[in-house]
Amino acid sequence: MFTQQIRTWLASLSPDVLSRGLQIVLTLVVGLFLVRVLAVVTQRYIMRKSTAQRQMIARKAISYTGFVLVVVTVLGELGVKLTALLGAAGIVGIAVGFASQTSVSNIISGLFLISEKPFTVGDVIRIGTTTGIIQSIDLLSIKIRTFDNLFVRIPNEKILSSEVTNITRFPIRRMDFLFQVAHGQDLSHVQDLLAEIARVNPWSLDEPQPVIVLNDFKESGIEILLGLWFSQADFLALKNSIMKDITSRFSAEDVRFASPNRVIRVVEGSL
Amino acid sequence: MDKTGTAVWDRIEISVRQCVAWRFPTRSIWVERVDHEWHVLTLAQEGWRGNVRREPVARSQKPESSLWRHYLHKEMGPVQPVAVLPDKPIVVRPDRSLTLLPGQDALFFLEIPVWFRLCTTVPRHLTIFEEAITVLTKTWFGDPVTGELCYGLATRLHQGIDSVDPCAHLTVCPLSITNDSTTDLAFEKICLHVENLSVFRSPRRLWTNKLNVVFRGPEQGTQIEIDREAPGFEKGLTMFAAARQPSPGWNIRKTFGILKSFTDF
Repeated sequence: MFTQQIRTWLASLSPDVLSRGLQIVLTLVVGLFLVRVLAVVTQRYIMRKSTAQRQMIARKAISYTGFVLVVVTVLGELGVKLTALLGAAGIVGIAVGFASQTSVSNIISGLFLISEKPFTVGDVIRIGTTTGIIQSIDLLSIKIRTFDNLFVRIPNEKILSSEVTNITRFPIRRMDFLFQVAHGQDLSHVQDLLAEIARVNPWSLDEPQPVIVLNDFKESGIEILLGLWFSQADFLALKNSIMKDITSRFSAEDVRFASPNRVIRVVEGSL
Repeated sequence: MDKTGTAVWDRIEISVRQCVAWRFPTRSIWVERVDHEWHVLTLAQEGWRGNVRREPVARSQKPESSLWRHYLHKEMGPVQPVAVLPDKPIVVRPDRSLTLLPGQDALFFLEIPVWFRLCTTVPRHLTIFEEAITVLTKTWFGDPVTGELCYGLATRLHQGIDSVDPCAHLTVCPLSITNDSTTDLAFEKICLHVENLSVFRSPRRLWTNKLNVVFRGPEQGTQIEIDREAPGFEKGLTMFAAARQPSPGWNIRKTFGILKSFTDF
């Protein structure tokens, strides 16, 4: 029934209108398809040696520009006067701009982020309590995948006004371990043990040298800082292994970790 | 089938259900052919004092482990063990500090641990696996932003080849250093880009290309030239393993630790 109606409607159209309509549909479909192909080819082949961020920017620039061109062409085919449309778009743009200040602010922040490059796609960053890998940097927001596989969208405006830590910016980092050993331990021996633990650990760099600092007198023991340099890729391996190494070596050498304790002295005759 | 010395690097035919072991002081490697697969196990070992050797192992004697790795390769044929140099530069720290006075030159022989690579030969050379025989520490050379990740090696600076004991898992790198500056050159550590070096083989030793290092002063940097030919300290050397990344020739690199002071590190 519905098909029959469409056939009747198509038959009622003049051949000129029909061919014009077909031309518009073809322009739209082929144009959008070509834009898509061009964006993919640019990303995968022409810019394959560029960074992921540059590939993403190029792809989006081609997609948005291509889409606008196709729409403008289709509107031209439909007989819409573009000069009047652009004038109207300018007025509408100002109205929309005032109405959506946050979005405009995000867009401007996004442009700053792209030009300043505090991070790129693939970097691991920490913003507030969120830590994850950057998946895309867009005009309005950045998208992050956290290590427990959550998708987080952060508006660009917020990023520009927040403290951002780029964890993977430099190839090596220092991992700090802060712990306490009980009072009364031979601290020189503890320092030697920690230096030995760092030396034999395959993921700890021997240069820059490990940092071993007797940090502070605490209520229950002496606080020690052990700082080990490592290559970004070895983060987990070092973290897991060094905790085991310290525990086993301290146990073998009878070095005691501090635990909260109180000495209660009862003075004879005071009770 | 037992082999010792550099003969452990000879090509070998391993038939189906046969297991062969390579014994090095710090690592043992078992390779077994099972149907269309190569089964490989490598285990680190400390304190082993025997000679480097290759020996057949009865199947009942091969170690039980969950670490056996399986590589599918349908073609039968001999396999070629190859001694290759590590995949990252090596920062060599001599066992004693040495200062080269201005205008002086010296020739040293460094021992560099090789990696074990096993290749198929039929129908073409394919790497089955490669692994470090001696695990070196990791270190960083240069400042934390622009430096490079390297392996660290504390070694003795031999000034004559006679003091270097032949060893099948160490390759000898002849290193000529010329201090062409007006300042003392404190030789505390040197960064060797071993990925640019080839390995040569003689019946007694493994060798690398000879490195010629000319220090022209902290400002001018260090020029390094790699001899294309096999080093002339032993006769009958043949090319054993090509460099991972052949060097373009002369180049200038940050090579000595002394340059650290000019990078504000």
